[in-house]
Amino acid sequence: MSSSENKEADGSSAEESGQFRNRGFKILGLSKQDLIRIFFGGNASVAIVVLVLICVFLAREAFMFFPDHHHDLKAYRQSGQEYVDFASDEIKAHTNLYSSLNIAYFAEVNRTAKTEDTILRAYRALMANLENVTAKTWGRFERDLDRLEDVEDDLSDAKEDLEELDPEAEDFAAKQQELNQEIESLSSEQSQLTTRVEELREKLKKEVDLVIDSEEVWNMGVGAEEPPAESKAKLREAVLLSASPEIDDEPEYITGLKAVSKEKKAKAAEELSDFKDTVKAMQASIRPLKSFQSELRSIASKNKSEIVSFSTAAGRKEAWEKGAQNAATEEERQRMAAEAEKVVIKEPDYAALNQPFYESLGKHAELIAPIEVEMAQLYAQIPSKKEVQTKSAKENLDRAAVFYERFENTVSKNREEIKEWRHDKPITVPESVTAFLFGRNWISNSSWHDFYGILPIFTGSFLISIIALTVAVPFAVSAAIYVNQLAPHREQNFIKPAIEFIEAIPSVVLGFFGILVFGETLRAVSQVEWLQWVPGFPMAERLTILNAGLLLAFMAIPTIFTLTEDALNNVPQAFTENSLAMGASKLQTVFRVVVPTAVSGVLAAILLGFGRIIGETMVVLLVAGNKIKIPDFTEGLGVIAQPAHTMTGIIAQELGEVDQGSLHWRALFMVGMVLFCISLLVNFAAQKVLKKLSKI
Amino acid sequence: MSDKEKEEALSPEQSPVQSSVLDEGPPQVVIEVDDVNFSYVKGKEVLRDISMEINKGEVTAFIGPSGCGKSTLLRCLNRMNDLIPTAEITKGEIRILGTDIYDPEVDVIELRKHVGMVFQKYNPFPKSIYENVAFGLRIQGVNKKSTLDEAVERSLKLAGLWEEVKDRLDSSGLGLSGGQQQRLCIARTIAVQPKIVLMDEPCSALDPISTTIIEELITELKNEFTIVIVTHNMQQATRVSDRTAYFYLGNLIEMDETTKIFNNPSEKETEDYISGRFG
Repeated sequence: MSSSENKEADGSSAEESGQFRNRGFKILGLSKQDLIRIFFGGNASVAIVVLVLICVFLAREAFMFFPDHHHDLKAYRQSGQEYVDFASDEIKAHTNLYSSLNIAYFAEVNRTAKTEDTILRAYRALMANLENVTAKTWGRFERDLDRLEDVEDDLSDAKEDLEELDPEAEDFAAKQQELNQEIESLSSEQSQLTTRVEELREKLKKEVDLVIDSEEVWNMGVGAEEPPAESKAKLREAVLLSASPEIDDEPEYITGLKAVSKEKKAKAAEELSDFKDTVKAMQASIRPLKSFQSELRSIASKNKSEIVSFSTAAGRKEAWEKGAQNAATEEERQRMAAEAEKVVIKEPDYAALNQPFYESLGKHAELIAPIEVEMAQLYAQIPSKKEVQTKSAKENLDRAAVFYERFENTVSKNREEIKEWRHDKPITVPESVTAFLFGRNWISNSSWHDFYGILPIFTGSFLISIIALTVAVPFAVSAAIYVNQLAPHREQNFIKPAIEFIEAIPSVVLGFFGILVFGETLRAVSQVEWLQWVPGFPMAERLTILNAGLLLAFMAIPTIFTLTEDALNNVPQAFTENSLAMGASKLQTVFRVVVPTAVSGVLAAILLGFGRIIGETMVVLLVAGNKIKIPDFTEGLGVIAQPAHTMTGIIAQELGEVDQGSLHWRALFMVGMVLFCISLLVNFAAQKVLKKLSKI
Repeated sequence: MSDKEKEEALSPEQSPVQSSVLDEGPPQVVIEVDDVNFSYVKGKEVLRDISMEINKGEVTAFIGPSGCGKSTLLRCLNRMNDLIPTAEITKGEIRILGTDIYDPEVDVIELRKHVGMVFQKYNPFPKSIYENVAFGLRIQGVNKKSTLDEAVERSLKLAGLWEEVKDRLDSSGLGLSGGQQQRLCIARTIAVQPKIVLMDEPCSALDPISTTIIEELITELKNEFTIVIVTHNMQQATRVSDRTAYFYLGNLIEMDETTKIFNNPSEKETEDYISGRFG
């Protein structure tokens, strides 16, 4: 029955029939409920819209990189720079080999005078330290000493005068009195000065003692044994001698040491003269190639600027013309029009530009062939690892072996590639992509050619993340297991907020803590004698992959900890109860029931922790050392003691300085895109894992 | 203990429970509850002056209205109340197989190996059926494949689940139906061959058909184990139990042969409860 029928049937029930009608106010046919719904829904969709916009713009900027990059690579080839870099690569490979051998040689030579050198180094450090500490006292001491001498001179003059004074003279009495007074005042000053000088001498002695007793200097000889007590005593004597105000010459002990050290080194050098000659011969062998390369290099540079000026010509002309149109005065307009007129758009004759390179093909082959033969001969002559004794020499010989192989490979690879090389060979699209994804160089603002290969920064990020994860995961997961399952209530209430508080520390604060405290400590620890087996120790750098990795681990711990703890919390209490009722101990219950049940949640926690690590900017920028180079893996695990740059760091560092729309700018966006994809993948994986968890 | 010794200790031929079931003597007391008071929070006693004896090879049912303390007493028998820090027995002692189980010398883990428990909500671990049943043995350090296989098969057969799952022992225990999961939990409990099995309302989360199956299972199991069952369902108590204890507000009102309790209770309160006048 409809309401109208109802009304007809019974007029008095009209009021009653309306009681189910919506009497609330309405706007555009929407009730209050609908409006509230729309408000909240709208807020949620704003986030989605922003996300989509970010994705779209990031992708647009990033993917415009490839056409530009393609263009840039083409210029690199057409200008002949690519050709010249064949020779540059050979020279670089050779330099690596040569310098590692050189280091090995000097390590061997210096080894013989290690004790002397340690003492000498300590002496120099002590003296430098001494100068700092005593400078003030020293100045006062010298001044007082000078003054004392003056006073003594004056005093003896006065005394002489007194003796020579003619008693017959009429003013004898007055003069005698005067002189006596002078003598009196002078001698009182003398005695004052003498005590002051003595005091200062005492003070100096004390300061010298203070400096000598500071043990720090002995830690300077990295990895060297501490010299025997006897030489320590002698050194102390020498320092005291040098420090004493009356002596200027270098103490005999030190000159003696210097002579011994020199003699020993000379003797070692004589013994190793074959090695030395080999290294020298190696250095000499590459010279012809070097001068050949530098000649070609200048030609290529010229070509490049010609090509670049052609590619920008159209744009420049247009800009001038536009400026002329909008010019305020007639004079200005004419000047601009003239400028526009001056810009000539003429495509360079690439074949002519590259003529010198084609002509040099034969010469390159001619030059490199004897170098290769000579290097093979020379390399065979270097001592084997067994023949050298220092750790550094052994390591460097190992590296030399790797570098030699690389040199050979470079030469033989180049031989093939030079044969194929044509300045007008087109660059394919995949080539320009792989040049980015697998390029081994990231060089910007170079006078030669900018390379945008992501590999160096990717490796940096990757290594740092690996270290951070290997450290953070065990710590965070075990802490979560302990807090959630084993710790008494009181400890829980303390540990959990403490770990979660780490998350609140701003990363820039952690960063400077990492530089000033952590880096310094790490380096000091790396120089402890009995830790030398650790790869990469002793560390020469303070800002390293290891340092950044450890700090990032610290930052990731709260994330992993909290999520792992949640996952453990989600394990039904019934499982624990059942397991205990079966006669399992608490630990058995934790490791056989609770943790296996929560394992996918733990995995998701680790993945999200990884996302946090790879996306962190500030800490790595401050602490990783920011060296854009693929870390040297020939050092094995010691690679962690090297500085590196990261993907996040490079964006933060370089984006402020690039021209908007330039290739460099787009390259940075592309790096951002890679980061975005990594994070997306990680989050996706975490979601998948979590979904699996919720099924249980 | 080496695996071999354990194997022997666990083999059914030498199990003391089995051998004693075979000789038909006078009922042997395995659980003695002697004048026990129990409180979860100091000063508020939820069990008062409970004394009872539970015989070997029998099914004993605990009945009573909600909050009467029957589950609490059950959980006292394998010291599951230890999980609550403030809970304690304030008076009396509980002896199982002659040992005071609240003696400080007693190893709770050893006790629980002998006194198994099946919970109200079936909850197999998120592991395979096989691993669920083998869990108790594995935590005792038994890892020999043949021993485990044997124990798993025996327990599943006892729990009446073998025929249903023998082809999918490696699939998850969570993929079974509710009744099957509860039987899996029973199999898991009996795999370590406890002497006593405590059941805390094992059927309350199950449908009537599964309940029937479990009840039949309980009747069969009493040949091998002493069973204590807490139930809300008085019909169930009459169907499965030999003796019944009626609790009310923390007191044990009456304990006797099931037939006697339900037909001719000596206490008025018991009669009121079983006839449905309250509860």
